[in-house]
Amino acid sequence: MDRRNFIKISAVSGAIATLDACGHPDQKLIRFVPEENLIPGIATWKPSVCTLCSAGCGLLVRVMEGDAEVVRHGKRGLMKMGLAKKLEGNPQNPVNMGKLCARGHAGLQVLYHPDRITHPIKRTGARGAGQFQEISWDDALKEVASRLTTLESSKAANSLAFLSRPLSGQRHELIESFLKAFGAPPAVWYEPFDEAVLRQANLMSFGHAALPTFDLARADYVISFGADFLGAWNSPVAQSIGYGEMRRGRPGRRAKFVQVESRMSQTGANADEWIACHPGTEGALALGIAHVILGEKLAAQGAGTRAGARFPGWSAGLPEFTPEAVEKQTGVSAAVITRLAHEIARSGSATVMIAGAPLAHTNGLFNALAANALEALVDTGHDEKPILAFTPAVPLGGGAQSATQASLASLNALAQSALRGQLQMLLLYDANPIFSAPAATQIREAIAKIPYIVSFGSFIDETSAHADLILPDNAPLESWLDSVPQAGSFQSVANIAPPAVAPLHNTHPMPDVLLVLAQKLGGDTAKALPYSTFDAMLRAALVPLRTHGGSIDAHSDDDFWTAVQKQGGWWSAASAAPAAGPKSARSAAAPAASGKNAPALPEFAGAAADFPFYFQPFVSQSLGDGSLAHLPWMQELPDVLSTAMWSSWVEIHPKTGARLGIQQGDLVAIASEVGTLRAAAVLSPGIAPDLLAMPVGQGHENFGRFASGRGANPFSILAPLTEPQTGSLAWAATRVKLTRVGGPEQARLVLFSGGLSGFPREGEHR
Amino acid sequence: MSHKWAMVVDLDRCTGCEACVVACHAENNIPTVGGDQAARGRAMHWIRVERYWEGDFPNPRVRFQPVLCQQCDDAPCESVCPTYASYHTSEGLNGQAYNRCIGTRFCANACPYSVRFFNFFDPKWDKPLNLQLNPDVSLRSVGVMEKCTFCVQRIKSAEIQAEAEKRELKDGEFTTACAQSCASKALVFGDMNDPHSEVSRLASSNRSSKLLGELGTKPSVTYLERGTWQDANNA
Repeated sequence: MDRRNFIKISAVSGAIATLDACGHPDQKLIRFVPEENLIPGIATWKPSVCTLCSAGCGLLVRVMEGDAEVVRHGKRGLMKMGLAKKLEGNPQNPVNMGKLCARGHAGLQVLYHPDRITHPIKRTGARGAGQFQEISWDDALKEVASRLTTLESSKAANSLAFLSRPLSGQRHELIESFLKAFGAPPAVWYEPFDEAVLRQANLMSFGHAALPTFDLARADYVISFGADFLGAWNSPVAQSIGYGEMRRGRPGRRAKFVQVESRMSQTGANADEWIACHPGTEGALALGIAHVILGEKLAAQGAGTRAGARFPGWSAGLPEFTPEAVEKQTGVSAAVITRLAHEIARSGSATVMIAGAPLAHTNGLFNALAANALEALVDTGHDEKPILAFTPAVPLGGGAQSATQASLASLNALAQSALRGQLQMLLLYDANPIFSAPAATQIREAIAKIPYIVSFGSFIDETSAHADLILPDNAPLESWLDSVPQAGSFQSVANIAPPAVAPLHNTHPMPDVLLVLAQKLGGDTAKALPYSTFDAMLRAALVPLRTHGGSIDAHSDDDFWTAVQKQGGWWSAASAAPAAGPKSARSAAAPAASGKNAPALPEFAGAAADFPFYFQPFVSQSLGDGSLAHLPWMQELPDVLSTAMWSSWVEIHPKTGARLGIQQGDLVAIASEVGTLRAAAVLSPGIAPDLLAMPVGQGHENFGRFASGRGANPFSILAPLTEPQTGSLAWAATRVKLTRVGGPEQARLVLFSGGLSGFPREGEHR
Repeated sequence: MSHKWAMVVDLDRCTGCEACVVACHAENNIPTVGGDQAARGRAMHWIRVERYWEGDFPNPRVRFQPVLCQQCDDAPCESVCPTYASYHTSEGLNGQAYNRCIGTRFCANACPYSVRFFNFFDPKWDKPLNLQLNPDVSLRSVGVMEKCTFCVQRIKSAEIQAEAEKRELKDGEFTTACAQSCASKALVFGDMNDPHSEVSRLASSNRSSKLLGELGTKPSVTYLERGTWQDANNA
């Protein structure tokens, strides 16, 4: 042994001895070579995009060096890597301008969730039993590719279906291109609270099948019919920024805000005037206000002609909708209707919005068209342009914007073909209809009947538990992201961001997996998607934006692409943005009045005699539609009106409670024609005595350690009524009955306002 | 110039969205305790949004009020602490020295705002949730009180940076996690010793008041009352 080798050997064995000597279990792990250079203790900020709702807010991720326990090449070890420590809004993003909502912050917990699927798994037990075993990416991709090839060669390509939560931007394009080239039908985009009714109404009233954007910072008067615009609806951060300005941003000018709803929402709690009207009669109320404005000629000449043409009596001043007639329908007094009409018509810039429960009735389209007509009548551009506008489209041929087809209708079609045995294979991505669709869709039975299901989801949930193979996607912060916000900005916005951190687990981005599959399949599919990775596709699609100016001034495509990644996206110039408002459309000649077919009166499932209460589920401030119920920060966030955490509750008026012997915290049963659920009672003065309301989000059977087996799921008792023209679920159209079935011990309502209780138990600090 | 850190909460802008609550959890490594412990009143939220109901259907009213440590100048929590774990900093903060705290909880009893929280357990983050922890903020162990610090780690970091660059701190150069996330700008943080700062300007509004000011605690947090439609006085 020469001297050089002796030193080598003694250095290596010495190092091993040192490692062995350390007692802490973490120290026994191997240390992997870091993949990037980071300075300990110094934070870098990387742009990303929030994916927790469809608003499309821009993020800045605080990345710092840290030790993560990872598995690499089958070995568990420690690695120094960049870790995401905090999310903030991206100040440059025109939608959220540096701000971020409660849900947005929790994107961090999606990334570091202990229940994330960390590698590909294959089902071993019975369908839905949750027994899986690890499989390599090579084997998994081979298996999927061979299944797809078999479908292709047996001329059964159209028996492939793709079911996903709604996506925008290039993920949407990629999935649709893949399916089209393969010969499969278009993807089914499912979310329980789709906006098909509002999109359809906005198309008919304003010529845009999109969600509206409100310039609230300029508003003097706002009437909102059920829109939770400061909570969970549309683009809540953008709307809250405008709201702050409308309240206190203009010395001497403070807008009036009127909320019409029968259960007080977080948004309604901020109103200057809160008006309850009978569920489903919001459209009649809007037309009653319009009747007064038209009759007294308080509006500009010709205002609202196009949107109003949906209603036969518009040009005659809506003779059927006198305040007295409307009072009988809505329960809102004629004097209030007349006063609202005078106030809104005489204030400066006014706007009207409608969303949520008023659209979730069988007459939802009527309600939306009526509110739009009133909006067009009063929002005539007092100071230059209207308050309501539409975000200009990103100038990129081919729109990834969602159509007006209701997601329930396409889900129904998918379930029907599965039940008829016409579906051989399902690709599933982050949609969970077994939890969030009414039982009448038979989606549970349909999923069970599909022979082969591949999920790209990061979590086991009620639907992905039925998968045969799970190919886990990277977390959003580990992925190339892009999205096109549909509303919330007066500039067109294309969010784009590279991964903020390296993947923690053995996961692969869903878009990359689809691209690999396309290449394995060859033929048309490979030709349609000639990219090796998703970022190449993103670059090819988005670099043409360079010629449109906007937020980035670059001399070459390379410079443009670098600048886009640094900024977190591209947006059109603020000044150059066209007045996207429906101003021209408002005065245009009226197209065919197909809205006449929209029924004016709501129908309900269940006879009033047997089911005396209206039932209104509402989107949870923290858990959204239930897809965020697995995040501990969201579970422990107190509902702002009830202070409830970690539980389900039903809001009941105290008089109703007193009549039925129900006290705060009691366990109650709510039964519809479809089913029964149990939850804790919360007595609230902000709800009509004939209405029961319940947040959506809890009641998961199978969604990780924090959500499973907690509370009840209101979707489980919804009747399958729809708005007939769009096929959208009328989720506020179910009637129910209410009984007390137990005391607080059984209900286990958790309130933050409850104070400390009980004595220390064993093991606790005394 | 020494600083006097303060906050203004505009109740006319606050929408009750609770972005501040989650932002605070993320910034300050506040543990979640789970449903069972939350049911026993052990959930920790350094900032919370209180709501007050008035009236009844069909004319109910709700008022939201974010409540956090008021960083009092005459703080009841400080004088009762036998170990000087609760102490007053030179910049007006009610400091909490975790390694001096022996868990008597006298401070929590003395605080009229109920903004101090006790660690009944060692905090626990199921791996890999521990990776979300902010390395700038120390973890609190079992038996220790904790509370809002006005994001002292952000204050210190900004002060050190300014000193290294030999310049004065600028108003708005940094802010607390809650104020940074607040979309409607209901929360504004800054230096009361700077007469031109946003907080100084807002605190002089005729809508301003202190929470339980009559107790003589001299809070550093100023509330601006909610307006009405007729009230066009936006001073």
